[in-house]
Amino acid sequence: MSEMEPREAGIDSLLRRSMAAPVPRLPSDFDQRLMREVGRGSQPLDRYRRILLAGYGLTSVLASALVMRGHGLNWGAIAVMILGPLALVVGARWAWSRRTVMNFR
Amino acid sequence: MESDSQLVARAQSGDQQAFAELVRRYSALVFRLAVSILGREFIPEAEDVAQEVFLKVHYAIESFRGEAEFSSWLYRITFNQAVNLKARVRFRSPHADETVLYRAMTPGPRPGRQAETAQRDQFLAECIQTLPEVYQSALRLYYWLDTGVGEMAVLLGVPENTAKSYLHRARQLLHGMLKERGYSCE
Repeated sequence: MSEMEPREAGIDSLLRRSMAAPVPRLPSDFDQRLMREVGRGSQPLDRYRRILLAGYGLTSVLASALVMRGHGLNWGAIAVMILGPLALVVGARWAWSRRTVMNFR
Repeated sequence: MESDSQLVARAQSGDQQAFAELVRRYSALVFRLAVSILGREFIPEAEDVAQEVFLKVHYAIESFRGEAEFSSWLYRITFNQAVNLKARVRFRSPHADETVLYRAMTPGPRPGRQAETAQRDQFLAECIQTLPEVYQSALRLYYWLDTGVGEMAVLLGVPENTAKSYLHRARQLLHGMLKERGYSCE
């Protein structure tokens, strides 16, 4: 910073003095802890949960459709009532991932 | 040594070792950038930010198309994450005020001038916190975290001259604020 103006030199040395403090470091086991966390999110357990959720979702959809049909609703209305919320969830998920990607740019 | 883009390509195909290598390469820098944004009183939060950033990157790495450098992408996420966290934690009471930490860590001058110097340092620390985020980050990186201008420019994702101008402008603003209050910069 050799091109510093003379009046800046004063504030420069003041900042050097007043901001001097030990430089913090990450704990030495940070990387290992992080990788454990990463592994936890992408393990077979996660896949198992997804399969379980998908199975639960399909069963619920089927049961709801049958109950609604039993109450005399036509298939069009049943489809709208089931697919509407599903579209909302998919849309929200898409918007969220789009936001994440945009933030990364 | 493998390049970042090779490691990213491997990580995108699910290779955890490649991702671990990226973490090893960048964790300290990500943490440093987070600390520079959050300040001294939020060092544990900066560690959380670093962890959160890598978890996000792991989640989103498939969407990374290599249009920018991996490191720029990573630092941009870190910056956003830390600024968002800072906005949230401002509404909570900090563990200790940054001004108190500045005072505690600054070696004391002669007793007669101690009170005045402490007051000025406290005021300076308060002034720093009123500056735009990038200026604060630039000041902390340069004066506290021993980061050179070149590396600071990389972390902030700006050209080197812009990083220099951040420092220059921040110093000018601080000088003006101190002068206005009647404090000397000597």
